[in-house]
Amino acid sequence: MIAFRRPRMSRLAWHEARSGLLFLSPWIIGFLAFTLIPIVATLVFTFLNIKLDQEEPLRFVGLDNYVALFRDPQVWDSLLVTLKFAAISLPVAVVLPFSVALLLNSRSLRASSLFRVLFFLPYVVPFVAGVLIWAQMLNSDTGWINGLLGLVGIQGPDWLNDPSWVYPGLVIIGVWGIGGGIIVNQAGLKGIPTELYDAARIDGAGWWGQLRHVTLPMISPVIFYTLVLAVVEVLQYFLVPLVLNQGTGEPGGTTRFYNLYLYQTFFSYQDMSYGATLAWLLFLITLAITGVLFWSARYWVYYAGETSYSA
Amino acid sequence: MSVTAQRPAPALPFAKARTAPRRSLRQRRDSFLLTFVAVVLVAGFLSPLLRSFALSFQTPEQISQVDAPLWPASPLTYNYKGRDYPVYKVQINGTTREMALFKKGRTESQFVDPSNPSAGLIIWQGSWRTLTPALSFAPTFDNYTNVWSLLNYPRLLFNTAAIAIIGLIGTVVSCTLVAYGFARFRYPGRGVLFLILISTIFLPTAVTLIPTYTIFVKLGWVGTWLPLLVPTFFANAYDVFLLRQYLLTIPREMDEAAAIDGAGPMRTLISVIVPQAWPVIIAVAIFHLVYSWNDFFAPLIYLSTKPELQTLAVGLAQFSANRSAQEPGLIQAGTLMTLIVPVIIFLIFQRVFMRGVVITGVEK
Amino acid sequence: MHRTIPAFSAVVVALAMLITACSGGNATSSAPAVSSTPEPTGPPVEIKWYCCLGTGDDKTQLPVEAKVVDDFNKTHPHIHLVFDHVAYDGARAAFATRIASGTPPDVVGPLGVGGAEAFRGQWLDLTDLIAKNKVDLSVYGQGAVDFYKVAGQGQIGIPFAVYPSELYYQPDMFDEAGLNYPPHHYGDKYKMPDGTMVDWNYDTVRTIAMKLTVDANGKDATQAGFDSKRIVQYGFEPQRDDLRGMGAYFGAGKLAADDNKTVQIPDGWAQGWKWIYNGMFADHFIMTNQVYKSTAFNGGGYAFNSGKVAMQENFLWNVCCVTDAGGNWDLAAIPSNGGKTTAVFNADTFRITKGSAHPDEAFTVLQYLLGPASKTLLNAYSAFPARTADQADFFTGLEAQKTDKGAPVYPPKVDWKVAVDGIQYADNPNFEAWMPAYNKSLDLLTQKLTKWTSTPGLNMDQEIATLKTQLQAIWDKG
Repeated sequence: MIAFRRPRMSRLAWHEARSGLLFLSPWIIGFLAFTLIPIVATLVFTFLNIKLDQEEPLRFVGLDNYVALFRDPQVWDSLLVTLKFAAISLPVAVVLPFSVALLLNSRSLRASSLFRVLFFLPYVVPFVAGVLIWAQMLNSDTGWINGLLGLVGIQGPDWLNDPSWVYPGLVIIGVWGIGGGIIVNQAGLKGIPTELYDAARIDGAGWWGQLRHVTLPMISPVIFYTLVLAVVEVLQYFLVPLVLNQGTGEPGGTTRFYNLYLYQTFFSYQDMSYGATLAWLLFLITLAITGVLFWSARYWVYYAGETSYSA
Repeated sequence: MSVTAQRPAPALPFAKARTAPRRSLRQRRDSFLLTFVAVVLVAGFLSPLLRSFALSFQTPEQISQVDAPLWPASPLTYNYKGRDYPVYKVQINGTTREMALFKKGRTESQFVDPSNPSAGLIIWQGSWRTLTPALSFAPTFDNYTNVWSLLNYPRLLFNTAAIAIIGLIGTVVSCTLVAYGFARFRYPGRGVLFLILISTIFLPTAVTLIPTYTIFVKLGWVGTWLPLLVPTFFANAYDVFLLRQYLLTIPREMDEAAAIDGAGPMRTLISVIVPQAWPVIIAVAIFHLVYSWNDFFAPLIYLSTKPELQTLAVGLAQFSANRSAQEPGLIQAGTLMTLIVPVIIFLIFQRVFMRGVVITGVEK
Repeated sequence: MHRTIPAFSAVVVALAMLITACSGGNATSSAPAVSSTPEPTGPPVEIKWYCCLGTGDDKTQLPVEAKVVDDFNKTHPHIHLVFDHVAYDGARAAFATRIASGTPPDVVGPLGVGGAEAFRGQWLDLTDLIAKNKVDLSVYGQGAVDFYKVAGQGQIGIPFAVYPSELYYQPDMFDEAGLNYPPHHYGDKYKMPDGTMVDWNYDTVRTIAMKLTVDANGKDATQAGFDSKRIVQYGFEPQRDDLRGMGAYFGAGKLAADDNKTVQIPDGWAQGWKWIYNGMFADHFIMTNQVYKSTAFNGGGYAFNSGKVAMQENFLWNVCCVTDAGGNWDLAAIPSNGGKTTAVFNADTFRITKGSAHPDEAFTVLQYLLGPASKTLLNAYSAFPARTADQADFFTGLEAQKTDKGAPVYPPKVDWKVAVDGIQYADNPNFEAWMPAYNKSLDLLTQKLTKWTSTPGLNMDQEIATLKTQLQAIWDKG
C-alpha cells in the first residue's frame, strides 16, 4: 500500500509543479529577456570605471567603487535623510489609505460611489503637474494652506524652505497619491465574507471589536502588500524633491535623498559606475528590510486560502 | 460594516420592535456625521484641483493681477481718447463712483468719469493702490482651445489611449497567469522565485535605464511603441504581488470542487478564481491605465524622434518648458484635459469594480 | 583601448562585451573618419537633430523647427533629418542615456555654453570639417569665433546667436513714482528727481528701486509704515538663473584661478551677491524666492514678465516672452559697479557630437541651420544673429511680428540699440567658463542660490567663505 501511494503522490506533485511553472513562464521569459541582463550589467558596472566622457580607458577597478562608497559622507547623510523621512511617511502611507477605504466601505456613508471617485481623482493627475500644483498650495506667502491657517490665526510655516517643516510638506504632497492604496484596500475589504461580521456581532463585538478581530486579520495580506511597497517606494523616493528643488537638496540638505543622490550621480555627474555601486547598496538594504518583513509575515499575515503558512 | 448597538439583539420580538426605531435614528445620525466628515475630507483633498480648474479659465494677465480672486476676473476698462484705462471704485465727494484711472501717481491720481467724460480729468487725493478695481466675470476658453491645437490633442489622445489599453490587456492577462502560478501551486523553488520577482523592483530605474535602453536599441525598437508595450505582456512585480496576495485569501473549496468535476488548472482559473478575484483584477487594470497614461519618461526617450506617436504626458511638457513665460492657465487646462479621460474610464470601471463578487454559494 | 575582462564565466564575458560595445563607442572615437565623402546614391542618411538642452521646446518654437526640418528634407534628398525632441526636463538624462548606449544624436542645439560644459568632451572638433567645406568664418566677429575655441578640444562650435544683456524697465511705473527713466546710453549719468546728476550705478539703482517698490497701500519702501509682507510691485529683479551670472553683472570673472585648480571668488561677484541679498531681506526691493515662485509673479518664470516689476537685468532672449509684461516696456543700460560696466553675455549654437556616425552629413545640416534657416530660427529663439551682416535686419524682423489677433507683439518704440551697445561690455572671461567637476560644482552653486534667496538672517561674508571652502573640497576630490 505504502509503495503504491508514494509514486502517485510524486506524480501529482510533478504535475502540480509543471502546471505552476507553466503559469509562471510569461514572467520567466520576460525576466530573462528584459530584466536579467540590465541587472547583471549594472552589477558588472560597479567593477569598472565607466563615466560618460570616459577620459581614462575602460578598465577593471575591483572594489574601488565600493571603498569610495563607504568613505563618501554624502552616502550616509543621504541614507539618514531617507530614513528620517521614512519614519514620518511610512505610517501615513499604510494607515491613511486603509482608513479612507474603511470610510468608503461603511454602509453609513451616503453617496459612497461619488466619494470613491472624488478620492480617486488626484491619483490620476499627472505627477509633475500634481507636484507643481501642491508647490503653489504650500507656498509660504501665497499658498492656500497658510492662508487657511492664517484665517484661524496661525502663522503657517515655510513648508518648502524650512528644514523642520519640509518633511510634513512632502508628506502632504504625497497624500494625493493614496488613490491607488484606497482601491487596493477596498478590494481587500470587499473580499471579507459578511458571515464573519455576523458571527462577530452575535458574539457581542462592537465596531472596534469587529475591526480588530475580523477586518484586520482578513485584510492583513493587503496591508502586508501596502507595507512592502511603501518601504520600497520610500527608499527610492526622489522625484518630488527633484521637481521641487531641481535636486539641490535644499533646504539645508534635508531633501538630499539617497535615490536623488544616485540620480544625480548618473545624470549630472555622469559617473555611471559609482552610480551603479550606489544602486546596489540600495538593493541590499531594501532586500534586508523586505526579508525581515517577509519573515515577520508568519506572525501577523493570515491567508484564508492557505491551510499552512506560505510566505 | 455598520455601527451597531452596544448590546446583542434581544430574542423577544416585542422587545425587538421597541428597539428598531431607536436603531434607525442612531443610524441616521451616524450616517450624517460620517458623510459630513467625508465631505470635509474630500473638500480639503480636492481643493487644489478647484484652484486648477479656476486658473484654467484665466488669461495670464488675470492670473498675475494683484489680489486676483479665484474666479476669472478682468478689470473693467473704459476707452478714453483711444486708450483703455482700468476702472476703479473711488470714494469721492461722499459717494462711491466707478471711474477710470487715467494717470497714476503716488499721492494723487487723475480719473475720468465714464458717465461724464466731458467733465475732464478729476484729481483724487490718496493712493490708487488702496482702491478696489471694478471687476467683471471674464472666463476665457482660449487655454483649452490652445491646448487642443498646440498639442494636436486628438492624435496624442489616441496614442495615449492605445498604449494604455494594449498595455492594460497585457498586464492583466500576464499578471493573472503568473500570480495564479505563485498562489495555487506548490513546487520546489517557489519561494526563491517569488523573492527574485519582488527583488526586481529594488533597483531604481535610473540605474537600469542605460542597459535597458541599449537592449531596445539593438532590437531596433526605439522609435516605436514596442518598448512600452511588449514588457507588459510578461508581467510585472507590483501587480503579480498584489494579485498573489489576494488569491491566497480565496478559500480552496471551489478549486477542489472544480478539480473533482475534472477541470484542469486553466479552467479552474477562468471559472473559479477569476470571478472571485474580480475586484483586484479591476484594480490592476486601473493601476496600469493610470500609470501608463501619466508615464512621462519612457515615451520621452523612446519616442523622441516620432512626435506623431508621442503621448499626452510628454506633449504637456512643452507648456512648462519656457522659463520666460510660464503660462499657468495653459498648464492647468492641459492637465485637466489629460486626466479627464482616465477619470471617465474609472467612473465606468468602478461600477463593475463595486458590483462585487457574486458567485453561487459564496456571497461576499 | 585596453581593458581587463573578468574571467569567471562566459556569461559575464558576453555581458562585458555587450557593455564595452555600447559604452566603448565614445571612449574610442577621437577624430571621425572625415576622409570619406557621402555617396550621392544609396539610402538617405538619417541625421538626428536633438533638442532641447537649452531653449527650443516652447510651443511657439516647435512649429518653426518642424518647418525648418521639412524644408531641409525637401532640398536635400540624400539626408533625412529628424527632429529628435526631448523636453527640457528630461533632456540631460536622455542625452546621457543615448551617449552611453552608443547611439548619440548627431546635431545638438540650440545650446549655450553652460549646457555644452555639462557634457564636456562630447563635442566634435569642427576644424577639419570647416576646412573641408571651405566655411568662411570672417562673417562673424573674431571674438565670437574664439568664444568657441576651447583649449584641448578645438573649434567645437560656429557662432550662431548671441544674447547680450540689457535693463528692461516699465516707463509707466517710473512716471507714477515721479522718476526719470534710466539712461539709454552707456556712460550717461542719471538725473534724480531733485535735479542732481548721479552715476548710473547700483547705488543709484538701489535708491530708485526702493521708491519703485510699492505695497498694497501704495507706500513705497522708503516710507514709514511700508508693509514688506504685502508688496504688489517690486523695483528690481536680477538675473537669477545662475549664481555666477548673477554676480557677473557686478564684474566679470571666473571661479577657477588660472591654475585651474584653486577656487577664487571674483570681487565683483561677492559684492553683487551681498547687494542682492540686502535688496531682498533688508531693503525689500527684490523679491525673495518664495514670492518668485508664486503664480502671481509668473510662477518661477522671469518675474518681470508678470508686469509687476519695474526693472530687470536679463539677456536678450527674454524678449521672446516679455509681452505679458504689458505694452509699454523699454530697454536701458546696465548699471556700473565700481566704475566698470558688465553686460553679461550668452551665446547659443548648434554642435555635433563626437560619437555621431555621420559627421559629414551632420555638418551639412549644421551649415543649413546656420545659413538658410538661421533667420527663421533666430527669430523664433529671439536670438541676436552672430553674423554681423544680419544684425541690422534682426530688430525690424522683431517689430514686424504680430500676434494671431493681428496686433504687434512688441511696443512700437523699444530702444533696441541699447542691446547692441551692450555687446562691447560682455563679460570676459564668461561666467560659464569651465571649472573642475563642472556638474558637481554647479549643483553646489544652485544649492547656495536657493538658500541665499530664501533664508533671511544670513551672514553673507560667512556664506561666501563657506562656498569657497566647499567648492575647493569638491575640486580637490576631482
